[in-house]
Amino acid sequence: MSTPTHLTRAISVIAHVDHGKTTLSDRLLEYTGTVAQRDMVEQVLDQLDLERERGITIKAQAVRMLYKADDGNTYQINLIDTPGHVDFSYEVSRALAACDGAILVVDASQGIEAQTLANVHQALDHHLKIVPVVNKIDLPQANPELVREEIEKVIGLPAESVIFASARQGIGTKEILEAVVREVPPPTGDPGAPLQALIFDAKFDAYRGIVTYIRVLEGTLRPGMRILMMQTGKSFEVDEVGIFRPDRTPVEDLSAGEVGYLIANIRNVRDSRVGDTVTDEARPAAAALPGYRHVTPMVFAGLFPTDTEQYQQLKEALEKLQLNDAALVYEPETSAALGFGFRCGFLGLLHMEIVQERLEREFNLTLLGTAPTVEYRVKLRNGEEIPVDNPDHLPDPAEIEAISEPMVTATIVVPSTYVGNMMELSQERRGQFLNMQYEPGDRVVITYRMPLAEIIHDYYDQLKSRSKGYASLDYELVGFEEASLVKLDVLVAGSPVDALSMIVDRSKAQQQGRRLAEKLKTLIPRQLYEVPIQAAIGGKIVARETVPAMRKDVTAKCYGGDVTRKRKLLEKQKEGKKRLKRVGNVEIPQEAFMAVLSLD
Amino acid sequence: MERIHSLYLHVPFCTWVCKYCDFNAYAVLEGLIPPYVEALSHEIDIAGTELPIGPLETVFIGGGTPSLLTAAQVRQVMERVRAIGLAPGAEVTLEANPSNITGPNVEGWLAAGVNRLSIGVQSLQPDALRFLERLHSGMDAIAAIQAARAGGFADVNADLLFGVRGVNLAAWLDTLEAVLAEGVQHLSAYELTVESATRLGQEVRTGLVRMPDADDQLEQYWAAAARLEAAGLAHYEISNWAQPGYRCRHNLATWNYHPYLGCGAGAHSMFRLDDGRTKRRWNVKGPHAYIKQTSETARALDGAETLSPERARGEAAMIGVRLLDGTGSARDFPEQRRHLVGAGLLREDNHQVRLTRRGVELANQVGAAFLVEVASPQQRKG
Repeated sequence: MSTPTHLTRAISVIAHVDHGKTTLSDRLLEYTGTVAQRDMVEQVLDQLDLERERGITIKAQAVRMLYKADDGNTYQINLIDTPGHVDFSYEVSRALAACDGAILVVDASQGIEAQTLANVHQALDHHLKIVPVVNKIDLPQANPELVREEIEKVIGLPAESVIFASARQGIGTKEILEAVVREVPPPTGDPGAPLQALIFDAKFDAYRGIVTYIRVLEGTLRPGMRILMMQTGKSFEVDEVGIFRPDRTPVEDLSAGEVGYLIANIRNVRDSRVGDTVTDEARPAAAALPGYRHVTPMVFAGLFPTDTEQYQQLKEALEKLQLNDAALVYEPETSAALGFGFRCGFLGLLHMEIVQERLEREFNLTLLGTAPTVEYRVKLRNGEEIPVDNPDHLPDPAEIEAISEPMVTATIVVPSTYVGNMMELSQERRGQFLNMQYEPGDRVVITYRMPLAEIIHDYYDQLKSRSKGYASLDYELVGFEEASLVKLDVLVAGSPVDALSMIVDRSKAQQQGRRLAEKLKTLIPRQLYEVPIQAAIGGKIVARETVPAMRKDVTAKCYGGDVTRKRKLLEKQKEGKKRLKRVGNVEIPQEAFMAVLSLD
Repeated sequence: MERIHSLYLHVPFCTWVCKYCDFNAYAVLEGLIPPYVEALSHEIDIAGTELPIGPLETVFIGGGTPSLLTAAQVRQVMERVRAIGLAPGAEVTLEANPSNITGPNVEGWLAAGVNRLSIGVQSLQPDALRFLERLHSGMDAIAAIQAARAGGFADVNADLLFGVRGVNLAAWLDTLEAVLAEGVQHLSAYELTVESATRLGQEVRTGLVRMPDADDQLEQYWAAAARLEAAGLAHYEISNWAQPGYRCRHNLATWNYHPYLGCGAGAHSMFRLDDGRTKRRWNVKGPHAYIKQTSETARALDGAETLSPERARGEAAMIGVRLLDGTGSARDFPEQRRHLVGAGLLREDNHQVRLTRRGVELANQVGAAFLVEVASPQQRKG
C-alpha cells in the first residue's frame, strides 16, 4: 500500500538524555497501533540489550506508523528515535538528515539543558520544523508553564505551539501526532525522478548480509533494481526493500520521502557506507547527496584481549561493530606490556564504555581497555607535524618543538546557585571563561574554552557532583592550541608499563604522578612479591609507592569432605584473575589502567 | 574403579553448634540418633555390596560429635564395617568431645574396635573457650586426654585452635605445652578460620569481632611448629604433627589421592575411575532427609561430579602439596613447578616437590597453580 507523498512525514524525536524520548516514541507506536498493546515492552525501539538495561538509546532506530488524523486522511509517519547523550550526537545528526521535522522533548521539571540546545541547533541546521513538547507534566515537581516560557525565550519557539504531555500516562499523544501532520512539511521529492537515497545506518544480519537503512529523497527504489553506491562506485542488485513496523517488513517499493531498508546481498561492511547516496545504475542521479560531516573521534584508547588468542576474534568483532557504529575507528596497536590489540577512536567516554561492553557481550570477548586520551599534534624540530593519540608514542622531548592539544567550547547549563562551583571546577581544569548568560527559570548558560583532555578526565562526574546533579554539559571541538605538556611514565616492579603512560600539563605533572602512584597502590592487588610503583617524568622518578607482598593465603583444613569446595573456590579465584593482565610478573586489573581518569 | 580401602562415617549431631563451626552439624536433634544409626548401618551394608571396597585399612568416625553415640551404637556401626572387611591393624578413629570421654565410654569404644581417639580440646584458656562457645573447661579437656590414655588408647590426637582473639603467643604456647605434657601422639593445630555462613562470620562482618592480623596468626603458627618439632612430633601436613608411626593414615589416604567412601549425612566419597577420571559424590546434608531417603531408596545421594583425568591430576597436586615431606603429585606440571620454585614457594628434588616456609603461608596460591582453567559458562556458550 503506497501513501501519496503529501500524506508522508519523516520525523525524529530529540531531547536531552533522560527527558523521555524513548517513552514518548513507545506511546506514539502504541497510539497508532503500530505495536499492539500486548506486544508492547518498554523501549520497543531499543534493540540492544544494553540499551534496555541502561535505559538509554545508543542507536537511532527507524519505524513507520500509520495515523488517521482528524482531517480524515491516513498519514504515513516515519519516526526515527535518537540517542540523547552527547557522545552520540553524531547519530542524532545522521537521523536528522533523514527527516523533515523533529519533536523536541523537554522535561517539565528539568527544563532546557545543554543537549536540548545542541539538538535544537542541529535540527535548525537541517531546516527541520520543530514540534516542542513539555513532557513528564504528571510529576509532582513539574513546572510546565515555566518550561514553556523557557522554550519561547531561549529557543524562540512560540509558547502557543508547545504541547503539554506525559508519555508515561499517555497524555498529549494525540495532540503531538496532530501537530506533526499539520506542522511538518511533506517531503518534496518526486517519485518519478532518478533515485537518490541517503544511507543513514546499516546493520549486519547473519542470514541476509548487510541491511542498509535509507531514506529515499528522490525517485523510487524497487527489488530487482541495480543500484549504484555513488561514493564507493560499487553496484548491487536489490533483493528486498522494506519498512520497519517496527520489525522489518518487506514492501513493493520505497518512494521519495519514505524511510526503510534495502537488502542487496552486500557482504562487505565497507560497501554500505553511512552517508553514501544510493542511486539507480541505469538512470543515475546527477549528483550525490551532501552526506554527513565526517565524524571525528574525540578520545582514543587501546583495547586488548586479556587472552592473547582472542586477537583475531577482536579484529572481526570490531569490523562488524563498525558497520553500525560509523563513529568507531581503530587500527592495530602493539604494546610492550599488553601485547597485540587495537587503538580505537571514540566519540566520548560513554561511547568507549558502550563499545567495550558490546564487544564483550555480543562477541564473547574479555577485553582490557587502557585509559582514554585525546589526539595531540606534535611539531618536531625537523618541521614535521605528527598526530599522537597514544602517550607512549610521544617522541623524545629533545625532538619536540611544540605540542598542541584539542580544545573544545564547553557549554554548561546550571541553576545559578552552582555557578561558583562550575567556574571553580572549570578553572582548575585549565578552562578559559568565554561567556555567561542568565535565562528564565533560574538557568545560567556558561561557556568555557578548555582542553578536551580535561573534559575526558572525570570532568563530567565532577560537574554533576558539584551541582548536586543539576548541571548539564555539551561540548564541541573548536581546534588545537599549544600547551606545555609532558609525558608521565609509570614503572611497575621496575619496568615501564607503556599502557599506563599519560600526557599531562607540566605544572601539574609531579602532583599527578604522586596521585597516580597512590591510586595504583590501592588498585593493584597484593602479589607474591612486593611491587614497587613509580611515576617518572623524563626519566626522573617523582613518586614511589609499594604494594606489599601477599602475607598469607592458606586453608587450615582440607579433608575428604572439603576438597570439592576448596577446588571450586580456587578455580573461581583463578577465573577472576583472568580479568587481570599479566605484565612481567605482576597482575594488573582493568581499573588500574583507568586510574588516570580520576586523580582528583 | 580403584579398590577402596578407606571409609568415613559422619555423625552430624552436637549438643551445641559452636559459633565458628561450618561443618554439617546440628544441635537439638539428638532424638534422631537411633534412626540415624539404623540408616547409616543400612547405607554401609548397601555400599559394601555395590562397590569394590575392603579390606578397610582406615575408618574415621567424624562429626559433629560422634562421641554422642552410645558405646552400643558405635558397636553396631562397627559390626557393619567388619562385614565389609577390616584389615588387620586397621586404623579406626573416633572424634570425641572432652565432655563425653568417661571411663565406661572409653572402655566401650575400645571394645567396639575403635583404636584411635581424636579429642576436640581446641583451647585451655577460659576466655578462648567461652569465646569459642565450648561447653567444657580446660581442666575437663586435660582430664579427658588422661582418661583416654588411662583407659587404653595408645593413639590419641588433640585438636587445637590458634589465632583466637585475646590469646597471645605466650598463652597459646602454654596451651600447647600443657597438651604435649599429656603425651599425645598426634596433634592438629588449626588457625581459627572465619567462615562466612557462621555466627562468627557474621560477627566479623558486622565488626563485632576483630580477628588477629596475618602476622600474629603466622607467628603463633610457626612458634607452635617449632615447639612441636622439638617435642618429637614431625610436621607432616599444614595443620598436622605426629610422633613417628602415628600419622593419621586415614587422612594420608585423602592427601595421597586414594579413594574413599563416605557414609552418613553430607558425607563425601571419592572414587578413582580406571580411565584416570575422578568421581566425587556427596550425600544429602540434613539428618531428616538422610534418614528418610536411606530408608526409602537405600541411597542418600545429593550430587556428584566427575573430573577429567587432567583436572583430576590438578586436584591431586592441589591436595598433595599439603604434605610437607614432599609429593610426586605435581609431576605432570613442570611449567607450574618451575614458576613456583622461581617464586620461592616450592623446593624440588627427585621429581618430588615440597612447600617452602613461604609456600606453606601461601599454600592456596600453590594449589591453585595446578588447577586447570575451566571455561566459564559464558565462554562455553560461544
